[in-house]
Order: sequence, then structure tokens, then C-alpha cells
Amino acid sequence: MLDPSILLQLAWTGFANASFTCLFAVALSLVLKVNRIWNFAQAGMMVCAYGFMYAGTRWLGLDVLAALPIGLVSTAALGLALERFGFRPLRRRGSSSLTFFIFTLVVSQLCTYLAELIIGTESTTLIDNVVTPVRLIGDVAVSDWDIWATSTMLVLLLALAVFLKLTRWGQRLIAVADSPDLAELYGTSRDTAYGITMVLAAILTTAGMVLLGTKAPTVPSSPLQEFLLLALLATILAGVGNVFAAGLAALLVGIGQGFAVLFMPAQWTPMLVYALMAVAIVVFPRGVKLPRIRWRGVVLGAG
Amino acid sequence: MEYLLTLAILAALSAVLAIGLNLVLGYGGLLSVAHPIFYGLGAYASALLTMQANVPIPLAIVLAALGCAAASVPLALCSLRVSGDYFVIVSLGFQLAVLQIINNLEITGASGGLSRIPTFAHGSDRNLICLGVLLVAVAATLVLVRTLVQSPFGRALTAMRNDEEALSALGRDPVRMKISIFALSAGIAGFAGGLYAHIFQFLTPSQFGIETSTALLTMVVVGGTATIWGPLVGALLMTCVPQAIQFLDLPQAIGGPIQGMIFSVLVLIFLFLRPQGLMGGSRGGGGLDAWSGRRPGRSSRRPDVIVERLAEEVGS
Repeated sequence: MLDPSILLQLAWTGFANASFTCLFAVALSLVLKVNRIWNFAQAGMMVCAYGFMYAGTRWLGLDVLAALPIGLVSTAALGLALERFGFRPLRRRGSSSLTFFIFTLVVSQLCTYLAELIIGTESTTLIDNVVTPVRLIGDVAVSDWDIWATSTMLVLLLALAVFLKLTRWGQRLIAVADSPDLAELYGTSRDTAYGITMVLAAILTTAGMVLLGTKAPTVPSSPLQEFLLLALLATILAGVGNVFAAGLAALLVGIGQGFAVLFMPAQWTPMLVYALMAVAIVVFPRGVKLPRIRWRGVVLGAG
Repeated sequence: MEYLLTLAILAALSAVLAIGLNLVLGYGGLLSVAHPIFYGLGAYASALLTMQANVPIPLAIVLAALGCAAASVPLALCSLRVSGDYFVIVSLGFQLAVLQIINNLEITGASGGLSRIPTFAHGSDRNLICLGVLLVAVAATLVLVRTLVQSPFGRALTAMRNDEEALSALGRDPVRMKISIFALSAGIAGFAGGLYAHIFQFLTPSQFGIETSTALLTMVVVGGTATIWGPLVGALLMTCVPQAIQFLDLPQAIGGPIQGMIFSVLVLIFLFLRPQGLMGGSRGGGGLDAWSGRRPGRSSRRPDVIVERLAEEVGS
């Protein structure tokens, strides 16, 4: 019989550990919604963010927070360069999805090889000691990193929601996502919108890499072979265009992975992600639609 | 001399794989990146059949190829429900899942791999014999694919790539076609994998990962998708060019990433400057844009095109 406190601990650990995959999923989903591109190059952006922050902390001796702007600026620059010199010419040429796929995948590979050349293939972290103090809240052990990671994630998601809902440029991004041609006829530059989206994705990606780099050792190939897949899975489960639902899906998958250790050996838990991905794509290619429930005039669970 | 022979063997193996991938990707229009996993499955299956069941090598290679053709059916069935980017993701997940299984099974040697695999060529002329066998395999694959794409089936295949619904309306069965080309392509990859296992006598799961997918895509793109000779030229070029850095005598930790970067940069150059590849023609003769459905000369920003597109959106 399982102790409820163990289940609660697994749920909390899964939730906290999924905070960075949540940010990756939201970034991927946002680019898919506005730019209409499955951005496999996000793995390259992750590597770029990590690589520059690694250089800042390890070679320049900076604190992680001081290295953060370096990672942020370089990743945003990469995102803008991808949009300006990659996606835009391909889009104007009317290239097929195969071309976009090859381009984004190859950019990720190029960034990975560059990082392997500069940083090496050994596991690294952004800080010397990734173990942070732990306190008991009820029966659940909560580390400082858990609190930092979950609060960072929540603040960034809230800021993104505010930006998209309340600011003029946020609303313009939604307009471009809905109909780029119509938005352009009303005076919104779609190219600017695409660029802003890439910068937003860079912010989320860099923040995610800070959380990852202060939690566990990572190698340059991890973003492409591990974290991008989780983000893809969450995006598919949520359905194209449901940015915040993708974040929620990433958190649920993270919690599921936490519980998976109860019934399968740890080395097989990645299979859970692949199996979920196959089922999600084949059975729910347009995302999981939650049933609409009407409660006191309010509609809940709209897909 | 031995170095050049080994290089030629690697180029020939890559050529067989790239020609098989081009069948699915270039002519069928199915975005699968899982091709290397069939190569790996063929290699492991053939090696295990000879090592564990004492099956003769030629029979083991043929059985491995047939097994790979059968193993491709689930992936082909996925392509019936989803296409384009979604299918890329399915195939990527399929590839990583199978790699994960190989990485954790005792019988496959887990991450340490399999060694001391029996070979079919011995003696001082070993590499020459292997190369001879592979050249026959390359020629046979080339003839097979060429005959296929020039047959009525091949024309139907191209039609399916360009407009599946129109093909269905003409009474053709895209389901059967997709499963057939997937099985054939996976069988070719499995056959190449079997040859690889018995030539190099050592296998590890890392040889069949995403890096191999990218390398194969590179060969097809650089040579020219949907062209007969493109994948062959691409395989030769992409095997030989990165070898140039071998002469710099760099350590593996530096040489490996530099080789990967050469691959990546070459693909980017071709994507933007020559999407039709080396062997693709400028007027619809293959290349990445052969099946994009684009209408050349129609700028997406021309007002009439925008209005037309908006009308389509409103109409739908």
C-alpha cells in the first residue's frame, strides 16, 4: 500500500522538475501558433542559451543571474536571425514543410556540434553545487530550487498572458496568428510579429535553460534528443495554437513521469514519452479535447 | 589503399540507404526520419541471427531485410492518419523508442553494443570483396528504384505525393502504395544494415541515431530529392568531403563535431542556394520544391493572391 505522502512527493517533484519543460513547450507552441512553424531549431536555441551562460559562469566567473543577460541576448539574436535569414526566405519561396523541417533540424544539429566543440561532450552544470537546501512542508520535501523554478515558471507564464491579452503588440501577435493576411491589411507587419515571437520564445527558452543548468548535469545533445521531444509531446497534446495548454500538458507529463518510477524501472521511463507521443499524434492529432462543462453559466474545459 | 577501400565501402552503404530513403521522401513525399532505425534493426537482426541461431550470413541478411519491411508497417499505418510535420514527429519518436529498447536489452549488448559478428569475407582481399558485394547492392538498388519510379506505379506514387485526394478519386489506393514503398525502403535499409554488421563486425546503438538521420537527409538533399542519381552523388560527396579533416589528424573530440558542422553547413548552403540539389533540374526535375505544391512566380504578397487566399479562408 502506497503512502499518500510518497504520492504527494512524487507529484510535487514531477511538477517542479517539469517547470523548464513547461517553458520549452510554451515557447514551441507560441512559435507554432504565430509563425506557423514546428520550430525544431528551438533545440539549437536551448544549446545557444546554455552555451553562452556556461561561458559566462565558467570562463568569465560570473554569477548565473549575471550570465543570464548574455544567454538571453545571444538566444534572442539567434531567434531573430532564424526568422530573418531562415524562415522568411523559405516562406517567401513557398518552401515545403520538408524544407522547414530540414532547416530547423540542421540548425539544431549545427548548434549542438558547435557546443560540443567548445564545451565538450561531458555533462556540465551552470553552478558548482546543484544541491540546494530542502525543507519539509507537511510531509513533502521542497527544495529551494523547486520554489525558485516553479515561481519563475509561473511569473513568466503570467507575464506572457498579460502581454498577449493586454498589450497592443500581444493582440497583434494573436491577429497575425489568426490570419496573417488580414492582420497585414489592417497595418500589422507580420515580419515584426514573427520577430517578436522569436524573441519571446528566446526569453522562455533561456529561462528554461537556467533552471535546467542549475538542477541537473546536461550535455549539448540533450536539448535535441530529450527536451525538444517533451515540448513536442506537450504541444501535440494541447493542440496547435493552445499555448498555455501546452505548458499544462508539459506539467502533467512531468508529473506522470514522476509516478512512472512506481511501476517501471527508471531506464524505461523515456519509453513512456515515446508511447504517449505516438498515441497523441495518431489518436489525437488535433490535441486532446476536454468535454465542455457548463457550470453556473460558465463554460469550462474548452479543448 | 585500405583506407580508400574502407571509405568506398562506407560510401556504397550510404548510397544504398540514401537511394532507399529517396523513394519514401522524394517520390512518396512522406517525411520520415526513421530510416536509420531500419538500418540498425537490419544490422542487429542479421548479427543476432548468425550469432545466436547459427543462420548462414546471406540468409540472415535476407531475413533481416524482410523483418525490417514488416517492422515498417506500423510506421506506415501512422502515415495514413497524419502527414507532414506530424509524421516527422511520429517517425522521430519511433526511432528514439526503438533505440531506447536496443539500448536497454541484454541480447543486443545494451549501450556497449555487439562485437565479434561473423563476416562473409576473409583474407587479405577482404575489403575488396566487401566493396564488390556492395557495388552490386548499389547497382541493384538503383535499377530497382529506377524501374519502379518509371513504371505506372511510380507515376501513381508521384501523383500521390502531389495530390493524394485526386489520386484516390481516380480509383488508386494510397494506403497500399504507402505501405508498399515503406516496406520496400525499410527492406533496402535492413539489407544495408545486414551488410554493415557483417562487414564491420561491430554495432552500437549510437550509430543509428538522429545524427545518422541528418546525414542521410543531407545526402538526399545535396544530391537532389526525387532524382535517380542524386542520392548516389550525395552519398559519395558527403562521405568523402568530411574525410578531408582526417588528414588534419585532429583528436576525435574535435574532429567529430567539425565533421558534423561540415555536414550541417553544406545542407544549409544547398537549402538556400540550390534546393534542387546537384542532380535536380531547374524546371521541376526533382529537388526539395518538387512536391511543395507551390505555384512559382506567384508572390505571396501580391494583393490579388492575398485577396484570393482570404476568400478561400472565408469560404472554408
